[in-house]
Amino acid sequence: MRPPPDNETESRKRLVSLMTRHQRQVFSYIYTLVPDRHDAEDILQETSLVICEKFDDFEEGTDFVAWACQIAYWRVRYARQKFARSKVVFNQEIVDAIALTASTLQKETGDRHEALLHCLRKLHPRDRELLLTRYEPGSGVPEAAKRSGRSLEAAYKALNRLRKLLFDCVTHQLAMGGPR
Amino acid sequence: MLSDKEILELNELCNALVDGAFTEAQRVRIASWLSRSEEARQFYVRAMALSASLCHYATEMHADEPDNIPAPGARGRGWFGSVAAPLAAAACVTMVFWVFNRGKPIEPLAETRTDEVVARLTASKECQWGGGAAFSPGVVLRRGQRLELAKGFAEITFDSGAQVVLEGPATLDITSAWDTTLRQGALKASVLPEAIGFSINSEAVKVVDLGTEFTMIADAGGAADVLVLKGEVEATPRRGPGLDSILLRENESRRFEQSGVTDVRDREQKFARFNQRVPLERFARPVRYVHWSLDEREGAWLKADDFGARLDRFDLRLESVPETKRAALSVEGRSQSALRFDGRIYARAPFPGLSGNVVHTVAFWVKVSEDSQLSSAYAMVAWWAENRQFGSRPVHIGWNRNPNEGTIGVLRTDYGRGFALGATPLRDGRWHHVAVVFVPRADGATLPEVKQYVDGRLEGEGRPSPPGGGFSTNVNELVRDAVWLGCRLGETGPKRERFRGELDELCIGEGALSPPEIVQLMKENKPLTLEAAAQK
Repeated sequence: MRPPPDNETESRKRLVSLMTRHQRQVFSYIYTLVPDRHDAEDILQETSLVICEKFDDFEEGTDFVAWACQIAYWRVRYARQKFARSKVVFNQEIVDAIALTASTLQKETGDRHEALLHCLRKLHPRDRELLLTRYEPGSGVPEAAKRSGRSLEAAYKALNRLRKLLFDCVTHQLAMGGPR
Repeated sequence: MLSDKEILELNELCNALVDGAFTEAQRVRIASWLSRSEEARQFYVRAMALSASLCHYATEMHADEPDNIPAPGARGRGWFGSVAAPLAAAACVTMVFWVFNRGKPIEPLAETRTDEVVARLTASKECQWGGGAAFSPGVVLRRGQRLELAKGFAEITFDSGAQVVLEGPATLDITSAWDTTLRQGALKASVLPEAIGFSINSEAVKVVDLGTEFTMIADAGGAADVLVLKGEVEATPRRGPGLDSILLRENESRRFEQSGVTDVRDREQKFARFNQRVPLERFARPVRYVHWSLDEREGAWLKADDFGARLDRFDLRLESVPETKRAALSVEGRSQSALRFDGRIYARAPFPGLSGNVVHTVAFWVKVSEDSQLSSAYAMVAWWAENRQFGSRPVHIGWNRNPNEGTIGVLRTDYGRGFALGATPLRDGRWHHVAVVFVPRADGATLPEVKQYVDGRLEGEGRPSPPGGGFSTNVNELVRDAVWLGCRLGETGPKRERFRGELDELCIGEGALSPPEIVQLMKENKPLTLEAAAQK
């Protein structure tokens, strides 16, 4: 049920604040289940709309990210039916198992996101440029290869190496008690 | 615990998945891992989260210098992070507002620019200007500009489509494309149906046009007469004992003054005077058009004309479509046949000069299905634009897929350092007429003026983009000086994103078309002649 007009403005403010703060985490959760940027963005958009519509159901003081990820989970399930599995790689049983693991690692993935920034700063500018070009909206490995002057094969190899480097750096950062 | 070898294998599988270079054998292999091992699932979740974070940081930093990497400690900020958090917040407000008010299109957040062009002087007769200014027909008028007409008649066409004929002596303030203030003197306003809502203020009254022709006479004492010649207006007194709005219909009139609302003195004479058409000297501005009806196809080629004679060198070529499938791309259009874009094909036509710093208007009909996906938003029409100051960037006309910047599905034009958003959702399976007026500034140092019209109504003026984004210096010659349909444009050619929908009656006018000219194209599918303009 929609709140009376006086409360509606406050409700909107709360929603805006929560979504601004946590949209990235929800995207990360969706991307884990649907590892394609465009598809994940589509589902994030649909999820955002449902969050807006159902925000009256959200209980103040409970975990917004967990609540939003529940909605995202059902949007992913819906996407499986709607797109006849073309948008998700795994069967539902595996998606459910990944979703459970992703939920339990929610706090850790937030910390890893922040630690990643420090690790990115440590990369050689040329490597960082390659990585960020690869992940720019609308870009991809061929674009990153072209801009960096590498062959496609060399770009794939470099990206694999850099992601592993960052993965280990982030793990090390957290083991040391946080970003340094 | 996973061995080093197992970690390396998982890492390789995750990379292949993220980069889309995934074989069926790899899919089976990783599925096997994920179904049986919690440790593998944890590795996978961390690896995918790393890529999601890289998407975030790459979006945020785009092509910025390394030193611009946001400072650590931006804990808990949203998708747009520290750089654009205020924007994200504003955008969320837009989306929240939209959801709470579903069905009522909202205007995108407006940016007020004091130097914004909002109208043009389109005709005149025996004008003498006061205030040390001299305006000639064709001159652009900016927000906040004051016109002091000592003698004669001047027609002002606002970008909303409203037209006002000012009769000297009179003083008029140009407030925006949608409103103006008559300080003193007389005017006659004609408002196209597409400009309903245009308002004229005086010290005594605010008149909102509801699709009509009316006159306002403001005297030095602050009173104003309002006479409705056609249609109806809503008049709201700005002072006096009663402030309720009054609906005035054809042949009705009221005088608004400090003491209240009364009858107009000499109303018959005033109606007779303002019902007379004043012949004006119209600014003759030849516009060259290139038009693709998208009706006549020969092989992969679609013919171009200038709404009359053929223009062979502008013919449009279909790309990425086998010969056997070309026929299926011609579908019933808004006028005869339209071209269906299926998410794979695109088309290109050479257009010498299009990439230069030139004024032009792109107009076409478009139909987008209700279930069109966000990935199909790029781009109905695109071209490459070069600017000495802002560098080289593509211009894309598509529909908005970014909820953080406006309503999903509304018309969106992206260009170097700026973008414009409409208000009408296009994803409804119906034909909509789109026109985008693109006016690079002569100094090359400020952003171009971009105005969007949907179904003849002004909706969406350009505003600056958030910081970020690089410029290309190595643009393929194939990309320059051509109009591209159905694809996103990169510096070497079309990118992988494609538009899904139907296009019809594309035309590019080499000039900034006025609202009446755009409405003419929409209604008649041909340019407005000077003679026809004089009759309107």
